[in-house]
Amino acid sequence: MKIGIMISDISNSLFRRPITELYPFERRETPESLRGMLHWNSENCTGCGLCAKDCPANAIDLIVLDKKAKRFVLSYHPDRCTFCAQCVHSCRQGCLEMSNEEWELASLDKDQFHVLYGVKEDVENILAGSPLPDVDRIE
Amino acid sequence: MMEKKIMDETFTVPIGPQHPALKEPSHFRITVDGEIVTNAVVRLGYAHRGIEKAVEGRNWIQNLYMLERICGICSHIHATAYCLGVEQLAGVEVPPRAQAIRVLTAELERIHSHFLWVGVAAHEAGFDTLFMYIWRDRETVMDLLETLSGNRVNYSVNILGGVKFDINEEQADAIRKGLDYLEERTNHYLDVVSNDAMFLQRTSGIGVMTRNQAEVLGTVGPTARASNVARDVRVEAPYGAYFDYPANIVLEERGDLTARFVVRIKELFESYRLIRLILDTLPSGDLETRMPRRIKEGETVCRVEAPRGELFYFIKSNGTDMPERIKIRTPTICNMTSVVKLVIGHQLADVPMILVGIDPCFSCNDRMVILDRSDGYKQQWTWEALRQHGIDYYHEQHS
Amino acid sequence: MGSTTIMNNIPNLVALLIFPAGLFLLLCGLFYEWADRKLLAQLQNRIGPRWFQPLADIIKLLAKEEVIPDGVNPTLFIGLPIIALAGGLTAALYVPIVGLLPSYGLPGDLIITIYLLSLLTLCLGLAGSNTLDRFSLVGATRTLTQLFSYEAPFMLALLGPAFVARSWQISVITTFTNNRWLILSQPLGFLVAVIALMGKLELPPFDAPEAETEIVAGALTEYSGRGLALFRLGKGVALVIGLTLIASFYLGGVTNPFLFFVKTLTLLLVVVALQALLTRLRIDQTVGLWWRYGTLLVLAQWLVTIVWHGVAT
Repeated sequence: MKIGIMISDISNSLFRRPITELYPFERRETPESLRGMLHWNSENCTGCGLCAKDCPANAIDLIVLDKKAKRFVLSYHPDRCTFCAQCVHSCRQGCLEMSNEEWELASLDKDQFHVLYGVKEDVENILAGSPLPDVDRIE
Repeated sequence: MMEKKIMDETFTVPIGPQHPALKEPSHFRITVDGEIVTNAVVRLGYAHRGIEKAVEGRNWIQNLYMLERICGICSHIHATAYCLGVEQLAGVEVPPRAQAIRVLTAELERIHSHFLWVGVAAHEAGFDTLFMYIWRDRETVMDLLETLSGNRVNYSVNILGGVKFDINEEQADAIRKGLDYLEERTNHYLDVVSNDAMFLQRTSGIGVMTRNQAEVLGTVGPTARASNVARDVRVEAPYGAYFDYPANIVLEERGDLTARFVVRIKELFESYRLIRLILDTLPSGDLETRMPRRIKEGETVCRVEAPRGELFYFIKSNGTDMPERIKIRTPTICNMTSVVKLVIGHQLADVPMILVGIDPCFSCNDRMVILDRSDGYKQQWTWEALRQHGIDYYHEQHS
Repeated sequence: MGSTTIMNNIPNLVALLIFPAGLFLLLCGLFYEWADRKLLAQLQNRIGPRWFQPLADIIKLLAKEEVIPDGVNPTLFIGLPIIALAGGLTAALYVPIVGLLPSYGLPGDLIITIYLLSLLTLCLGLAGSNTLDRFSLVGATRTLTQLFSYEAPFMLALLGPAFVARSWQISVITTFTNNRWLILSQPLGFLVAVIALMGKLELPPFDAPEAETEIVAGALTEYSGRGLALFRLGKGVALVIGLTLIASFYLGGVTNPFLFFVKTLTLLLVVVALQALLTRLRIDQTVGLWWRYGTLLVLAQWLVTIVWHGVAT
């Protein structure tokens, strides 16, 4: 039976800097494995759409413009994403990866939360809302 | 007359659904005579999220992440229970390395959960210094989980048929270093909770549950083990890598709040031992096996030891890529009856302490339960009938 | 005649409204509240609030709507915080704030000061029992129970120095204690006085009357806006007065502003360390502690002092 066992802790703290980090001013390096923003590299994509099917948050749509010519556009919603990396795992071609640097994704602008990956021309067409022939959308 | 007088002297203190002592919604009606509790009634269900229904509309892989979000603190163990069940249904054998990594993460999660609990309980007792320090040290294990998995809370370590990531030497060393620090601190905290006279005044002899009571009330996990009931799924019915890395059960005899503190803190040492052992003897091999997208028809039951106690999953498949039914029972619901029984005769000031003693997690335990059986027992309700029932219920309440 | 009365009363008005009581004391109270929170945070390895936080809180509360709940007596509901604060400010007139001589003095003003300080707690209790809220009622009961448990030891502990100074007037006692460290001859009295002050201010471990995890904010649960601001200011003032009394009686006197701040802040550090180290007591444990140990300790101190005094003379 003792009183004030934590005196060693508080006397140590008296002359020490607080452990709290002032986040936006003090930053830690993020670990290699951190799961941040999703990135898509279209090179090997076969358009199987498993990434979109397995996404638990419906954050990914794969827009198939022309399966034979391998013209795909990946529509990604970072605001819906739960950063579980199931899509990265489901993709057998290794087209998807998560950045460990882009993780501060908060924004006041709603447009920031809809990212389209793909050939520039296709993306622009989709953004312009022009009708596309035979578009298959895997959600 | 006499009875009426007694009735008038009692006083009902409502705790919740919104109350500073409760971080989650639930409602307790505590009847007090002065400061002494004479009766307690609990009402749950304020955080019902319909998860069991929601999983029926998603495929097996998506459900992994849905079920992981039942609990923010023990997310990994929910996913593990689900994976074990589905793998059993599909008849798939998970490679030993993946199983070891699952157990390693589960033990890291147990450390983080128990640290969190000690902090919360210290805060309820009015010992904020212990709360602040223990949560400071909890950051160590949170950082380890982040380095390992990439997320701090919902780690998403599991996939059906294995795990997502491997552990390299660098990470193993980081974990060993973190554990050394935590072990030193844990020794100190064990000293505090078992020897600090002022703290013991709030925990020693409070909420005593005898071994018999603990068995009758059906308590699970550390709450039961603090009353000397040897109930630990890791030991009783090992699963996954617990066959190769057997856990030792930690028991205390007194059954009061101090014993619950001591059991949880001593379990941390057991977790440290297991993690070190796994890191030193991690089996080599693959991290996953291929899983079919459609799971064979059948049903299974799966039990695992969550930080709060036994977690139970019932999984039924109809042969498609979506489950037919998943039923979950979380440890809190098993322990809740003990709270209502134990608070009687204690002071009002001890109620939050006794409640927090079971480490309650309310949103985890809120499931659909049909209580109204006046118009005949119905096994299944249609959406329309359920809606109508809700409307009628509120009309009745407010008329 | 009229103008001369006003002219004669100007120093009195200044003393009442600006310095040392009034505005200055309010700001001083806020500063000590900040120092308390900041030091506690430092001991818990946290950052803690910035220097203007208590002031910002008070400004915010004063600007907010004051909700008067159903079923209360509105006059009491509005009046009690004002009486509480006025009691604290009046008490300051008899106390050597910042090391200056007390603005007023009369034989027996020590008793007056202690009772004016108790007015704050009494108002808290009444404010709690005035409302219909369950948490307030339980809080009020606890506040008043606690009042009856620490009040006697606190008073006896402060009367120890009064005994050796042979006076119940604060200015006489402070002249006597100047450079006499009574903490050395009456250590038990000092200990009881410090701990009783913590009970008076409902600081941890004696914060059962406002234990947020049990009864939300205790007696003040229904208070918002101005009433809450005044009660908080009152507590700040009571903290300053309590620290001043103990520092000037036991720690060799506070005869200039420098000594005042050094001694009261050191005392505050002790109070904060105790807050950080101890777990909240239940109300029955608090009462037991005071009547079983606190009162006995201080009576033992009295006995020793009286016997020693008899032997010496």
